[in-house]
Amino acid sequence: MLKVALVGAGGMGRVHAKAYSQMEEAELVAVCDIDPEAAKKCADEYKIPAYTDFGEMIGNVDVDVVDICTPTYAHLECVKAAAEAGKHVACEKPLARTVSQAKEAVQVCEDAGVKLFVAHVLRWFPEYRSIKEHVAAGAIGDAVEVRTTRSGSHPNSPDSWYCDYSKSGGVVLDLIVHDFDWLRWCFGNVKRVYARGLYESKIPITDYALVTLRFENGVIAHVEGGWARPSGFITSAEVAGTKGLLNYSNADSVPLVIDKKAVEEDRPSITIPENPANESPYYKELRHFINCLESGETPEVTPEDGIEAVRIAEAALKSISSGQSVVLG
Amino acid sequence: MENKVKIGVMSFAHMHAYSYASALNKLDFVDFVGIADEDGSRARKFAKEFNTKAFKSYEEMLASDIDAVVVCSENMNHRKHVVLAAQSEKHVLCEKPIAGNLHDAEAIIEVAKRSHIQLMTAFPCRYHPAFVSLKKSVKAGDLGDVLAIKGTNQGRCPGGWFTDLSLSGGGAIIDHTVHLMDLIRDMTGAEPTKVYAEIDNRMLSKDFDDTGILTVDFSNGMFVTIDSSWSRPNSYPTWGNVNMDVTGTIGTASMKMFQQKIDYYSDENKGFFYLYWGDDMDYEMVKSFATSIHKGKDVEVTGEDGLAALKVAMAAYESAKTGKVIDLAEY
Repeated sequence: MLKVALVGAGGMGRVHAKAYSQMEEAELVAVCDIDPEAAKKCADEYKIPAYTDFGEMIGNVDVDVVDICTPTYAHLECVKAAAEAGKHVACEKPLARTVSQAKEAVQVCEDAGVKLFVAHVLRWFPEYRSIKEHVAAGAIGDAVEVRTTRSGSHPNSPDSWYCDYSKSGGVVLDLIVHDFDWLRWCFGNVKRVYARGLYESKIPITDYALVTLRFENGVIAHVEGGWARPSGFITSAEVAGTKGLLNYSNADSVPLVIDKKAVEEDRPSITIPENPANESPYYKELRHFINCLESGETPEVTPEDGIEAVRIAEAALKSISSGQSVVLG
Repeated sequence: MENKVKIGVMSFAHMHAYSYASALNKLDFVDFVGIADEDGSRARKFAKEFNTKAFKSYEEMLASDIDAVVVCSENMNHRKHVVLAAQSEKHVLCEKPIAGNLHDAEAIIEVAKRSHIQLMTAFPCRYHPAFVSLKKSVKAGDLGDVLAIKGTNQGRCPGGWFTDLSLSGGGAIIDHTVHLMDLIRDMTGAEPTKVYAEIDNRMLSKDFDDTGILTVDFSNGMFVTIDSSWSRPNSYPTWGNVNMDVTGTIGTASMKMFQQKIDYYSDENKGFFYLYWGDDMDYEMVKSFATSIHKGKDVEVTGEDGLAALKVAMAAYESAKTGKVIDLAEY
């Protein structure tokens, strides 16, 4: 059984911690967060030691894998520390804030002889995997035009690191990097990027971008990313081909809705849409990496994939800034 | 009723003529005087169906005492037909796009001005209640400042003359861009300034464009994308869509214009279809045109509106050809 240490006990860190706790092939052995309260809360839940210093944790605990769920701008520093300690690395998406940082992260892992997995979890969402498989099987002939949407309310308060786009990269790098990776997985490399967005607009607690990608195989894709909705979270994907059309939206794919009446004073009326699954996509992606470490197989998301997703996002940000299209490669 | 406004239809080449003719027959202050068409048998067929007269020629119809015509010919024939009507001083409702190229569009506007006729571009979507409500909400500031709009006008390939460039002037982009461009100009009062487009013909691999995404900057700082593709397969449950997602500083809006529908599954017709039950925007548009003529008022949608929308479509072709961002001020 592989021993995993978690770095970063925020929202995504807790999701990963839960996934490891359910996994037979791995064991969560320690958690580290610069915020002692966050570290302690997570540590208490899984009855593991909490640390605020990475070096101290690695010195004290026997660890095979470090899972990095820190804010994006801190990824490179953590990947370096883990690789230099000789630990395999699972890193939350995006791999890094910039392409050059992403390349450096890949290089340090290569030099240290440790495996690097970038958690592009969308590939383990069954609806997105299903679309890819149907496209690959020729269900719609040749793919011609693709549209994706990922749009919700803003993730946090004005003082959050998400709002400092120099740290998070805004929706383009933090949110629709999901779709960039999935699109590359389905349709190969991107040739040209044109984008418009609010990245530099300084509108508080709002970001929104519309990105057009032209792939080397001719596919045109339109990617919408938003932190501008008052409420809700919408995802959709559509692939139009020469012989058919595949269309998915999360709003049309809710198998269970529970409505609760406000029958008592302390019980508000509430609607809870649920999308139950036997295994969460996060569990599946992390188990995949753990299994690959045990078998020696190459993970489905390669370090190169991690760099390329950041490259598309960086090109989109450059296009927003310059007003011109950006050619890749 | 006395003083009915007398309207004829010039050409049934564009299928929209059918619903415009139905509207003419429904309006009690309109006398639908007849149909003229280069294809005489087509004129006779629809004249019979709409219980009106089939003229032998455009000239015969225009020589009569009619007040106005609806031009529903192929894009590249609009100019010829509008010029004919203008010379006879008949007001014109011209099917969109106003023409198959900018030169024709400018000539159409010029001749209408010179002849002192009313020229209206047929943008029926302006009259759909979903858009009317959205526009009202945007104008009232419900969403704050509009920052961005994502629009789709995706459809099946209509075939016929639409895919003959000598008659259409372009494929999917000229056919579909103009609707949303007009709605967005009307709703926001802003004007397009820059156009970039990725356009291709990989859906059908013929000599006309069938796929494209435009990105358009506007004078108020907002950015817009429009999907103008013929990307709906033949098995799609309806002809297509006109959708808009509007993002503002304090709110968002999502409009799906033809979402008022019943899902219909048919063993006999082997398929699944949308049965639309919402209001008839074509009727409302024709009513607006006929009312303007009847009351001697200016039409609500002008030839200039038609030109402004067409200009964005043509700039999109230029952008796709050159790979450049087209500045409309210099185009």
